[in-house]
Amino acid sequence: MSPLNETLTEFERNARAVLTQSVSRIDARTRSRLNQARQAALAAAGARRRSLSWRSLTLMPVTGAAAAAVLVVLLWHHEPAGIEMPMPEAQRSTVEDMDLLADNEALELIEGWDGPFYEWAAAQTEANAESDG
Amino acid sequence: MSEFATLASPYSMPAALHGDVDLTDPEAQTRSRALDQFLAGVELKAFKIAQAALRHEDDALDAVQDAMLQLARAYANRPAQEWKPLFYRILENRIRDMQRRRTVRGRVMAWFPFRGDEDEEEPDPISQAVSPDPQPVRRLELDEAVGALEKALGELPRRQQQAFLLRTLEGLDVAETAAAMGCSEGSVKTHYFRAVRALRAQLGDLYV
Repeated sequence: MSPLNETLTEFERNARAVLTQSVSRIDARTRSRLNQARQAALAAAGARRRSLSWRSLTLMPVTGAAAAAVLVVLLWHHEPAGIEMPMPEAQRSTVEDMDLLADNEALELIEGWDGPFYEWAAAQTEANAESDG
Repeated sequence: MSEFATLASPYSMPAALHGDVDLTDPEAQTRSRALDQFLAGVELKAFKIAQAALRHEDDALDAVQDAMLQLARAYANRPAQEWKPLFYRILENRIRDMQRRRTVRGRVMAWFPFRGDEDEEEPDPISQAVSPDPQPVRRLELDEAVGALEKALGELPRRQQQAFLLRTLEGLDVAETAAAMGCSEGSVKTHYFRAVRALRAQLGDLYV
């Protein structure tokens, strides 16, 4: 029995007896419905337990495979910091050409090429040298 | 506690017969059987507590059923000694939810002048049958005492009613009652003391 009994007053003992009596007089229909509710709860607990154990068994390989896939992807794309990977010569020149083409100033120089002016300047330099000599 | 378990036993069945327990797992069987015994031991008192709070038989049954389901689904793997405070905590939350919903429904329905009585059912004579009774005179006295106590309990503030029923009917100690009510042990003592004082003031002639 409850430790409460040790300190119950007469009023409390009487009240408890009456409450106990009222519980014992709960009708059969209510008892039956409570029993059905209990069976449903037990079934739910059993279903949940089975579901959890099934998941733990079936999800273990799935989780392992997923983790392995992530690891492979990470290793595949991983580049160690601070180390430059060697680049083939042909690939390097192609990259430099691309840099030139992408450089606006270099393009302006190419477009502004004035061949006759440089030829004239060279001729003037040679003429001056002859007159000095 | 034990007398109620005995009362409920004719309605219980071995958990292993449910078809929901893994028969190859003895631990699951043991736990299911323990949960069955626990629920069988508390269901009648829980119904009385819910009925005192909700004053409606079907609502009380729904509240107890919900509490059983939630305990079984969420806490069946907890140690068995934790079940009782957990169960009554869940039941109390469910009762509070239903009371709130009922308040809202009452406010909404207050706008409708004509309300049908479709929820009212004819009393089922079988459902009115009660367990074997003592002598007629004694039965009348008990009827009167039960009726007076239930009426007085219904007039108590909810927390006082809860503290009184959990301690007196269910037999929880102060710590378990505090866990079930979600309050301090001091609050439980205060609620219980006030409940006893109010009930004694109202029922003193009948009980002393």
